[in-house]
Amino acid sequence: MLKKELIVSALIAIAFLIAKFLLPKPIQFSRTVSVIIIILLALLFFFIFILTVKGKYIGRRVVFLLVGIALLLPFFMQFTLPLQISPEVRGAYDGLASLKGGSKVLASFDYDPASAPELQPMAEAFFKYCFDNDIKVIVMGLWPQGAQQANLAVEAAMEETPRYRDEIQYGEDWVNLGFQAGNEFVIVRMGESFKAMFPRDIVKNLPYDSIPVLKNVRNFSNIDYSINFSAGKPGTVEWVQVAVDRYNLNMAAGNTAVQAPMAYPYLKAKQLTGLMGGMSGGAEFEKITGKFGKATTYLLSQSFAHMVVIVLILIGNFAFFRERMRDK
Amino acid sequence: MIFGKSLYCSFIIIACFFTVATAQNEAVATVDSVGQILPQPPGNIIVADHKYDNGGIIDIAWDRSPDDPLGIDGYNIYRACGDGDFEIVAFVLPGGMESYSFIDDKVERGESYRYKISVISSGGESFSESSVSVRGDWEFFDLDKLNILILGIIVCGSVIGFIFTARAGRKLFIRKISGLEALEEAVGRATEMGRPILFIPGILDMDDVQTLAAITILARVSRIVADYDSKIEMPVSRSLVMTTARETIKNSYLAAGRPDAYYDDMVHYVTDEQFGYVAAVNGIMVRDKPATCLYLGAFFAESLILAETGNYIGAIQIAGTARPGQLPFFVAACDYTLIGEELFAASAYLSGDPKQLGSLKGQDVGKFVAMAAMIIGTLAVTVVSAWQFKFFGWLSDLMYSMFSTN
Amino acid sequence: MGFWEQFGIWLAALFTIGIISFLYKDNVLYKACEAIFVGVSAGYWFVVYYWDMLYKKFYQQVTDPVNPEWYPWLGVILGVLMLTRLSNKIGWLSRWPLAFVVGATAGLYMMVYFVSNAIVQIQGTIVPLAEGTAGDIIANILVAAGTFCGLIYFFFSKEHRGAFGGAAKIGIWFLMITFGASFGYTVMSRMSLMIGRIDFLFGRWLELIP
Repeated sequence: MLKKELIVSALIAIAFLIAKFLLPKPIQFSRTVSVIIIILLALLFFFIFILTVKGKYIGRRVVFLLVGIALLLPFFMQFTLPLQISPEVRGAYDGLASLKGGSKVLASFDYDPASAPELQPMAEAFFKYCFDNDIKVIVMGLWPQGAQQANLAVEAAMEETPRYRDEIQYGEDWVNLGFQAGNEFVIVRMGESFKAMFPRDIVKNLPYDSIPVLKNVRNFSNIDYSINFSAGKPGTVEWVQVAVDRYNLNMAAGNTAVQAPMAYPYLKAKQLTGLMGGMSGGAEFEKITGKFGKATTYLLSQSFAHMVVIVLILIGNFAFFRERMRDK
Repeated sequence: MIFGKSLYCSFIIIACFFTVATAQNEAVATVDSVGQILPQPPGNIIVADHKYDNGGIIDIAWDRSPDDPLGIDGYNIYRACGDGDFEIVAFVLPGGMESYSFIDDKVERGESYRYKISVISSGGESFSESSVSVRGDWEFFDLDKLNILILGIIVCGSVIGFIFTARAGRKLFIRKISGLEALEEAVGRATEMGRPILFIPGILDMDDVQTLAAITILARVSRIVADYDSKIEMPVSRSLVMTTARETIKNSYLAAGRPDAYYDDMVHYVTDEQFGYVAAVNGIMVRDKPATCLYLGAFFAESLILAETGNYIGAIQIAGTARPGQLPFFVAACDYTLIGEELFAASAYLSGDPKQLGSLKGQDVGKFVAMAAMIIGTLAVTVVSAWQFKFFGWLSDLMYSMFSTN
Repeated sequence: MGFWEQFGIWLAALFTIGIISFLYKDNVLYKACEAIFVGVSAGYWFVVYYWDMLYKKFYQQVTDPVNPEWYPWLGVILGVLMLTRLSNKIGWLSRWPLAFVVGATAGLYMMVYFVSNAIVQIQGTIVPLAEGTAGDIIANILVAAGTFCGLIYFFFSKEHRGAFGGAAKIGIWFLMITFGASFGYTVMSRMSLMIGRIDFLFGRWLELIP
């Protein structure tokens, strides 16, 4: 068994090395090749369905492989899919769009690199929009890596739009107050005083009172709008329960798709002005702000994977009912 | 002649009237010492103590300057404490509104303040009259939230009442919860197969109520394990949970008369990091192959990974969580799932603790109130919108205000 | 790209492949990656807790030259009491800090959850059932019926029999449909995370993605 494992591992390693050093880069399929691949995949699923009808079920590893292929291949294709803006994402955008130049937005980064594929594109689009519209951003985080993710988003925005390096001044246009431990207790204290929780910023270690963008910003009552990027607890739920309901903060949220269903009741009850759920929410936000990025690129892979999952669920259910009828 | 004189006088009177009338609306040119045209000051300064605060907030409102918005840069707000001098405290940009307001939250409780508003333009600064003196007072109760107090008293009062009832020995009825019956069966299965029971109490700390419920159920499960002389394994991701769980299991073994069979390593700390924890638990599941997996507590993204791996190794799985996002995975992959509040009900049911039973019954009172409010409110609002009956309008307003938070 | 950056990318790629290899079967590479991940994450959180809690919230506050605080000492005392857990004789002292943690969070959550998750939601459910477009009417009826029947399902003081049982069954149907929708949303989330990893492996590491 060990020998078989070693052989398989060696083959996989060789495949990756060939891909790294020998294949031409980058790979891009023409439209014709993309269509052929889609047709071949469709035929493959039809074949799997025929096998299922005959009582030969595919194993879990084949399912994993199919999903992996469905996620990978669209990266090399050149399709774009039409995208509708949902009312919840529009609500989040409208809240930002209603702000005048010079307005102050509190952005809370409550996620870690594990959730970056879903939330980082939203964050990057958010920063680009704010930088273009003279909206001042005050960043903080209730997760240790959140504030670092904010720095990465700003860096990515600046790399994509080099003029930001000259136009956007740290301390005047945005500030990163960093992470503070304490979960919802931090939000409670911020309701009285931001300075009590964040005496200094984390980029230049400047005292709170010396940072121009924080002038006259004492607590939530001095903030014009707020946005929360959240992947779990503490996150949007805690912000709504404390900051929105107690201190009447105007807030929109960007959540991972796991979190989003839990935030919908708050959206319905108008405790949130808007909600961006998962990668599709991020893509919609990119579209409505005009700041296209990774979420839009990833959406084709997402859609392919969803179609594969739907087909496999249908085939799986067919197999399930077939077994049931056979047992009867 | 007389007619002509009358007509002439009428013209003069009318002309005077119009001159006075238009003079009220036209900018009256006030010229300063250097010949600049100053803007007209704002008027009608109203100051009041902010309602239901700790005395540190004063509300200021004023009518716009007649020159607003054309040509003015904004309003300065000046404040004087007692008989002291006025000093500037804020600046408000013009917005073309009829009136403006400002909340001054930097006052000291008990001190008296006076305010003046000035308007600034390129021509200079004009000041309003000083306002009356106002003092910031604090109110002990925020009467705007009286409805929350009443509802809170109803629910909390019910909880306390039922706790006392349970303590007095009266039996409180709780309906059967299907996942619970499977617990003993699941432990029995593990004993027969000679494989351990894996208990995962979620990934949050002891401050989360789901973890508390999980630990209560752990007491019951570990008691059955001790009785059956089976094995339990409990990797945890929080140190506080580890210490509490160890104590719980130790007490269960003691109650079962098997203190010698208990050892601390039944409960071991892995890591706080979510996916590090789940990677380790996955490894334990695949290597140790527990016959029964119990997932009770607060879970996040790791729920599907755990449930899928448990399914893969063929373990009987019982899950319970109050996190709605994770319930779908447990429902799909586990044999039994305690949905939401059933986890807390299970904890109360198994422990028989009067506090838990009383809390559950008290919460049922809260649910009853919620259901009644929904029916009455929805019907009232529907009737009002469809047929405009006045009584139902009053009723729907009452329901809205009862469940308002402002 | 510098050597250490390349090295980091290769290491991250190796770990990613090692963890994903679990999908095939448990193997030596997965075990090694799992052990390293667990160890590194434990170490990482130790460092975070030290610098962000012990140092920032205790040491810096008590040794501040301008305005030293005394109350962080309370936290330290409670934390030390927690360590008495290790002793059989005085282990009972650890119940006090535990009681403090549970009590403090219960005090915060009590009203917060009651207001945000109960009162505001009840108000949001009081909606007219005969106003607006056909879609609005159907949506409002579903919201009202679903919430009501869901509450009935979670009513523990009465057995689910008769009409009550029927309403509870409708409630569980609503719950299951919601779970299905939530499951779909979460599948999207998992796919998104995998897309991120694929972008890293085939984009940043192998440089095959344009």
